[in-house]
Amino acid sequence: MKTLLAVVLVALLGACTTVATKKIASGENTIGERLQVNIEGPWNYISAPNMGPAQIWTMEGLPVDQLRIYSGIKDGEVIHDTRNSNLKSFSFRSNMQSDELVSMFEGMLTRGGSTFQLSKVEPSTFGGGKGVRFEYAMVTKEDNLPLTGVAFATVSNGELFALLYTAPRLGFFPRHQARVEQIARSAKILPTPAAPKY
Amino acid sequence: MNRRRFLRAGCGCSLGALPAFSMAQEPWQAPPRFVRPDTASDEGGLWAMMDREETKLRRSPFNLRDPQLQPYVQDIACRLGGDHCPDIRVYLVRTPFFNASMAPNGMMQVWSGLMLRVDNEAQLAAVLGHEVGHYLERHSIERLRSAKSSSAVGQFAGLFGVVGLIGAMGLVAGQYAYSRDNERDADRIGVLLMNRAGYDAAEAAKVWGNLLLEVNARPNGAARNPLFASHPASEEREATLRELAASLNGGVTNDDAWQQKTAPHRRQWLQEEVKRGQHEESIAFLTRASTRMHGKADYLWARGEVYRLRAGEGDLDSALKDFQAAAALGGEPPETHRGLGLVYRSTHRAAEARASFERYLQLAPEAADAPMVKNYIQELSV
Amino acid sequence: MHKIVAAVCFAAAASISAVASAQVPNLAPGFTGLPKGSRVVMMPADIEIYSISAGGLPEPRADWTEAAQRNFRSTVTRRQGTLGFAMTQLAEKDADDFAEISALHTAIARSIAVHHFGPSSLNLPTKDGQLDWSLGDSTQALKKATGADYAVFSWVRDSHASAERQAAMVAIAVLSLGRAVPRGGQQTAYASLVELDTGRILWFNRFSRDSGNIKDEEAADETVDTLFKNFPVAK
Repeated sequence: MKTLLAVVLVALLGACTTVATKKIASGENTIGERLQVNIEGPWNYISAPNMGPAQIWTMEGLPVDQLRIYSGIKDGEVIHDTRNSNLKSFSFRSNMQSDELVSMFEGMLTRGGSTFQLSKVEPSTFGGGKGVRFEYAMVTKEDNLPLTGVAFATVSNGELFALLYTAPRLGFFPRHQARVEQIARSAKILPTPAAPKY
Repeated sequence: MNRRRFLRAGCGCSLGALPAFSMAQEPWQAPPRFVRPDTASDEGGLWAMMDREETKLRRSPFNLRDPQLQPYVQDIACRLGGDHCPDIRVYLVRTPFFNASMAPNGMMQVWSGLMLRVDNEAQLAAVLGHEVGHYLERHSIERLRSAKSSSAVGQFAGLFGVVGLIGAMGLVAGQYAYSRDNERDADRIGVLLMNRAGYDAAEAAKVWGNLLLEVNARPNGAARNPLFASHPASEEREATLRELAASLNGGVTNDDAWQQKTAPHRRQWLQEEVKRGQHEESIAFLTRASTRMHGKADYLWARGEVYRLRAGEGDLDSALKDFQAAAALGGEPPETHRGLGLVYRSTHRAAEARASFERYLQLAPEAADAPMVKNYIQELSV
Repeated sequence: MHKIVAAVCFAAAASISAVASAQVPNLAPGFTGLPKGSRVVMMPADIEIYSISAGGLPEPRADWTEAAQRNFRSTVTRRQGTLGFAMTQLAEKDADDFAEISALHTAIARSIAVHHFGPSSLNLPTKDGQLDWSLGDSTQALKKATGADYAVFSWVRDSHASAERQAAMVAIAVLSLGRAVPRGGQQTAYASLVELDTGRILWFNRFSRDSGNIKDEEAADETVDTLFKNFPVAK
């Protein structure tokens, strides 16, 4: 949680005008041209440079909850922001199986040092294809706040599409979980637009 | 009686100027118990900071509050501390790095990476005795003084704080490492305390010898290895400790008691070790550990996992061998069969994969990933 | 280290928004003040005081922090009579049981500081410019244990230039012929009022200004007064 917030605030300090918060309205929305979701009720989308390849949405603010959405991540791509280069890095590989995808996300979530416990790992459809759904519990060492998470992931034509939602176990995760599950169920992977013919 | 005390920190004397001495000549005595210093002094400020770090540690999810293991380790620390026993408070911390530390206010941390690596009570006592040595000689106050002049007391406090700066541990420890003289003194005192508490002092040298095995296994060498935080291993140190112990005979090691007391945590600690992703170090450690009396199947399973995850040339075969050996011994973790299943699956041995996954589900029907494994079985049945 | 970075970023973001925050609501929609006779519990204040060395790095000062905590408590005790409601201060040792609620509140307070009182580019559209945050029913446990209907949380970070730093500042001012004005120290604080039945944040106040020196008693009085200046008591 803290790293992303720090990224955003540092961008602000740099008088960078590219920090923006956008309202994601109910209805059809497309993330990164390839992942379409249909949402019930608005969300807040926060963007700043160097936040990594996922799109980050939130209901209560970055220090509290984060919905990370991955759309069309390619083989070899690093799946997080690259600010702390002394921490271990995690990249996606096209040939990853479900258990490897789960390990990769676990590694990313615990990069800064958190306890982590998987509570459920099961097959699931996501984006219209076969994928994995997992639930987890974690506590970051700085905040000492117990968090709960749910995630969906699938690999389609060698590209990663995924959604991870992490929020405090008390109050917030239960409050927003149903809407997150609904977003995941509505997800559709769009075909790569055909190359224009000349 | 001719008693010789070590020069107290803060006197400004250079300990390096002292002639080297052997254990036989100079019987060292611990100072009397410390009194809490005035908050406005350097030391008092540090003490108060430690108190607040201790409160955070107490509430932290990394605090391993085990009603069996904690009192057991507390007792060992207590016997090493002698008269200072009432001032020592032991916290077991869940983190896979090799470290123990003792803050000036009496808070002692023992990390699970250390508990996993020592073979017996005596080796643990060697490390804890070393820390008590730093505490009794107030080396951290000395460190604080030099830290203050480079204006980073907060960072220094973090060394004793919650797991906090693990990734940067190597860097911070480098900046604030105890001086070599302090380290030598702590080694000397540690060995003495071990011996007085009834432990075989010869085990002290083994701790570092074992660590060196791991350090040397690392592909890019032993350069500032974060695994070892503030306790650099070295051949010199190992040799010195062997020498110090030469004149101290007798004492127990308590291999059995230690391995049995830690058994309930072994798999958790091994999982965290594997997740470090430092394959060569883990293999070196696990190879050594698999020669222990207890828990062989666990160590073999863990090494199999490391091979499976590294997946280098010949590694999948090594993984299979280890998993199969663990299963043959009996008492293996259920994950052994999941590991077998995953390797068979990736090498297109469907029937064997199915059988292994089914065995895993039999042994661990409530596993978090049971639904995913069931799905693997179905896919392999097509 | 993270804490210090976060505190600095937080403070910097706060100063950027100094003008904007004047127009942003301090009160939850529909809330005007505490009814008379309300029972309020005050959580132990989360205070950290730093000294800024010559090099400009903040060092935590435990002695100053302890003094500040003592002063804060005694100021609050002395102000009791004028409040119009009963406020009990929860002892630090009793706070262990509520570590999770406190940690949760800290996360929300950071969110409010950044996304409500911060730069407008970080405002959350779904909040519609309102102070609209709630811990939900997680605060019921605190209500049950203390018998209070409301809780007050507070957080203070204060940094002072050490003597060396002050000397360095003079040097910088002289060398730059008076143009450069380096910050000597800064105080950032917030306080919030939470309705324990619903977990709603009813009132939130924050400020950021030059160092407040709350290790000194008088300065602590002033800080507490500023922090609770517009505390919503029913008239």
